[in-house]
This record gives sequence, structure tokens and C-alpha cells, in this order.
Amino acid sequence: MSVMTDLQEFILEEITPGRAIIAIGPDDDLLAHGIIDSLGVTQLVDFVCDRYGVTVGTEDLVPGNFHNVRAIEALIARKRRAPC
Amino acid sequence: MTVALETRRRASVASLLDHAAGEPTRPALVCGARRLTYDELAEQVDTLAAGLAATGAAPGDAIALVAEGPDFVLGFLGILRAGAVALPLNPAFKPAEVAFCLREARARGALVDRARRLPLEVPAIGIAQALAAGRSAHCIPAPVDPAADAVFQYSAGATGRPKRVPRTHAQLTAEAAAFVAAAELTPADSILCVLPLFHAYGLGCCMLAALGSGATLLFVEHPRPFALDRRRVLALLERATVFPAVPFQLRMLAEAPGGAHLARLRACFSAATALSRADFDAFERAFGVPPRQLYGCTEAGVVTVNMDPDPHSTAGSVGTPVPGVELGVVDRDGAPADAGRLGEITIRSEAMTHGYAGVAADVNDAAFPGGAFLTGDRGRVDECGRLILTGRRKRLIDVKGDKVDPVEVEDVLAVHPRVRDVVVVGAASPEAGEELVKAVVVADRCGERELIRFCRERLADYKAPRIVEFRDEIPRSADGEVLRKYLV
Repeated sequence: MSVMTDLQEFILEEITPGRAIIAIGPDDDLLAHGIIDSLGVTQLVDFVCDRYGVTVGTEDLVPGNFHNVRAIEALIARKRRAPC
Repeated sequence: MTVALETRRRASVASLLDHAAGEPTRPALVCGARRLTYDELAEQVDTLAAGLAATGAAPGDAIALVAEGPDFVLGFLGILRAGAVALPLNPAFKPAEVAFCLREARARGALVDRARRLPLEVPAIGIAQALAAGRSAHCIPAPVDPAADAVFQYSAGATGRPKRVPRTHAQLTAEAAAFVAAAELTPADSILCVLPLFHAYGLGCCMLAALGSGATLLFVEHPRPFALDRRRVLALLERATVFPAVPFQLRMLAEAPGGAHLARLRACFSAATALSRADFDAFERAFGVPPRQLYGCTEAGVVTVNMDPDPHSTAGSVGTPVPGVELGVVDRDGAPADAGRLGEITIRSEAMTHGYAGVAADVNDAAFPGGAFLTGDRGRVDECGRLILTGRRKRLIDVKGDKVDPVEVEDVLAVHPRVRDVVVVGAASPEAGEELVKAVVVADRCGERELIRFCRERLADYKAPRIVEFRDEIPRSADGEVLRKYLV
């Protein structure tokens, strides 16, 4: 499963139940549409760290890294390339 | 036509707008490019009230309000100006939670800032639509009795399911006056509002504080999750003089890359949960302003605030009572505790509700013995009259400042067909100082994700468990009481 699909599934299954959202596109604005709130950011960060073994620090918490699924995918890719 | 302004009586909440009388251009609400002066706000409130009256809102009706930012303030005041009672709802609520509030409070209608996904079972009207109706209306809302109910909010109290807390116009204006005096707010102040206004803390320390002092309320335009919004919040904080927040927000700002120069900020308040010394120090180190703790509750609004000349040695205290509040400390038997001794905090206050609505008399007798509110919070009062809290409401779980009542989550899980027994507790989160909701269940053939999803479909996201632990049985004492210490 690609990182993109993995993220889309996680958001749909873990963050949006009860909100009548059935699909999330790679470029859908998660922030402008209120798809993720403060708690959702925390869940996403936990998921990304656990699933991909990367560290997301407080300095990474900027809208540009979380505004859509493509941006989160890029963040994971950068983190995986970064030296430990 | 513009609705004629009629004489406002002091002590109705809308009368707080009289601050505008002498200085019509003073900004009341600022959100991005949207600016409303106090005069403009007063005029829009009257128009909105006329529109609500023209579309069927009658005095005493409960009108749900689902709005954020400046629209919340306008909507709240419009409902009150029409003589109706505002029922602010959390926009994050799920349909079942909204339905509970609307039915319990017998709401007659809803006022919303924009199209929302919430299924409202009552006639809903948009703020723009109500303003349009008000412009062509010929009815002038009657003066409001200060003793009439102004707002319904929900509180779990010390324990148990959500109970409706009615507060009157006089109680809200008393809270406004008390906090303005205690925090020494003036029309020159700018209060940055990042708190939800449907909660007592934001309602009192942002909205009522600004209305009561004539200060300006600043809002973040199109707010995003707080952790991602820090640059914009800090940019606005450079213009603010007063900042009420919760510890999570203060920590996130202190850790924000780039920092900020908050030259105008003179008072930063922290409430909703205890502020750790580490968070106090980190915020002061980053911005040069020591956060000051305050204490309040849905039943009485703001109760104490720490305005001590020495904020460092008193950092652990939530301060002294605001004017009009009398604090007490009682022992297990309800008798006054000896000076300086630990006990349960009681409150008497002009700003306090007369009691929960829609409950049996014995519930109010137990919660307000002799007219004092038994908070469920433990603490002591030191020799200088400062309150030090030692145990917040243990039964409520604090999720980034939002309070979760375990009983409400247990009620949801208990109806899942495979759950045989359940207890919900607060557990330490991997993030320092944070709590998360944990459900301990006895269940047949079902998984953690299924139960979390079941809750998320019925409860606001912050209330849903993050962890589900399966056990063969829930540990209970001989008399059936859950032994929570074995579950955390």
C-alpha cells in the first residue's frame, strides 16, 4: 500500500467517522475544510511516527506540512531521507 | 428600516454595549479585515434581535447558537437582546450530542453562522438571513428583565451526566464586572481570543471581559488546529495586551520556532487545568510574561484570578476571589475546614447560577447545600487568601483543555451490543502533561478500532477513547464500586 493510500485510509477510518466524509483526495485541504482539528493533528503525528519510524518535532508543526495528504506524504519522505 | 434603539436597562447583557456611547469608533471585534466598532455591533445586535423576533423567537425561548469568532458574539447578543436564551453548542458535537442538548433544553430554534453539517431538529436560521429579516422588521424587542435567563450551558458538575446550567443576565453582567475589576481591564486593552466561546472560560474571560470593559476582541481569521496556527497566533499576540489560554496552548507557543516580541502583552491567563511550573517557566522565558492562573466553572464563571504582585512565588496559586465571590473550604462532612486546611472548595457568587435546570430537587440540594456550590475541586486557602488547588475534578478527564465526562463515554459504550461492562478513565498521554481517554471494557469478540469508531460516530472527537483495553472483568470493591486505581 502506498503512503498516500495509507494516510487516506487512516484519516477516513480514525479521524472522520461520524462526519459523513467518504473520500479524501491527495490535494483536499484538510485544514480549510475542518477535516482535522487539534486532536486530529496529534493523531496524525502519532500515526506517522509509529507507522514510518520517523520523528515529527514541534518545529514540523506548520500548516504547510499538514494541509493535505500530499504534504504529509512529502514530510514523511523528507524525514526518512534525513540522517538519524 | 433600522430598528429604533430603545432605552437599555443596565444589567441586561446587551446593555454592556453602552460602552460605545461615548466613543463610537472604538473597535469591538477584529477578525482579519472584518472590524466592527461598538456602535456597529450595538446596531447589528438590535437588527439581529428584531430579525429573530420577526421570525418567531419569543422571550424565554431557548435558541441554539452554533457560531464561531465575531459571529458568536453577534449571535449571542442578538439572541439575548430578543429576550431569548442562548444555548451555545460545540460545533464539534456529533448528531446525538446536539439532539440531547436541543431536546433537554427544549430549544425552539437555532441560529448558525454558516451552513454546517450538524443535523438540527429545530428550525435554523443563518445570521445573515436574520439580519436581513431584522432590517425590514417593524418590531422592537422589549426591554429584558435582568433576572431572566440569558444562557444555558452544560456541566457535568462534580460527577454525573451533563446538567443544564442556566445563568441570568444579572449573573453574566456581574461576572463581567468582577473580572474586569480583578484583571484591571480598560477600553485600551486588546484581548486575543483563541478559546471556544461556547465554554464558560471563553465566554467569561474573552467575550464578557471585552464587553464589560469596552476592550477590543481580536480573533484569528479562519482558525486552524492550534498546533499549526502558532505563527498567526503569535503575530496577533504582538498586538494584544491580554491573552486567556489553556496550558496546552501556552506550551505550544513557548515551543514555537522563531519566537515573537510580545511588547504589548501585559496579562496572560491560564485555566481549565493546572499549569505546570515547567510550562509557566517556558512561557515566561520565551516571551517575558509570566502566565497567571485563574479558576472558574460553568456554574459561576470566573471565580479567582492570580493578580499577585509576585507571580513567581505564587505561580502555583489560582489567586484570590474576584469581587462578589466568597470562597469556602469544607471537610468531608460539609463543615467548614480549619484555616489553611485542605478540603472541598465551595463558592457563593453573584455570578453563580441559581441551580441546575431539569433535575430533581435533591440533585440541587446536594450540589448547592445552603446556597453554596460544592465544586468537587479540592484545595486550600493560604494565609493571604490565595486559593491553591490540589485536586481538580478527578472524575473529569482533561484532553488539551476540553473536559470529558467518563460517564458520558461509558453510556455510549454500554449500548454497544458486544460490550458487557465498561469503565472510562483518564490515562497519561505520551505527550508530557497531557491526558487521554482510555476505555476499559469487558467485551465479546470485538476489536479496539470498532469500539473507538462506535464512539466517534456518537461523541465529539475529543471525547472518544484513544485506547481501549480489554479485560476479563472490571475490578470492583465488595460494595460494587469500581476500583479505578487498578485501571489507570
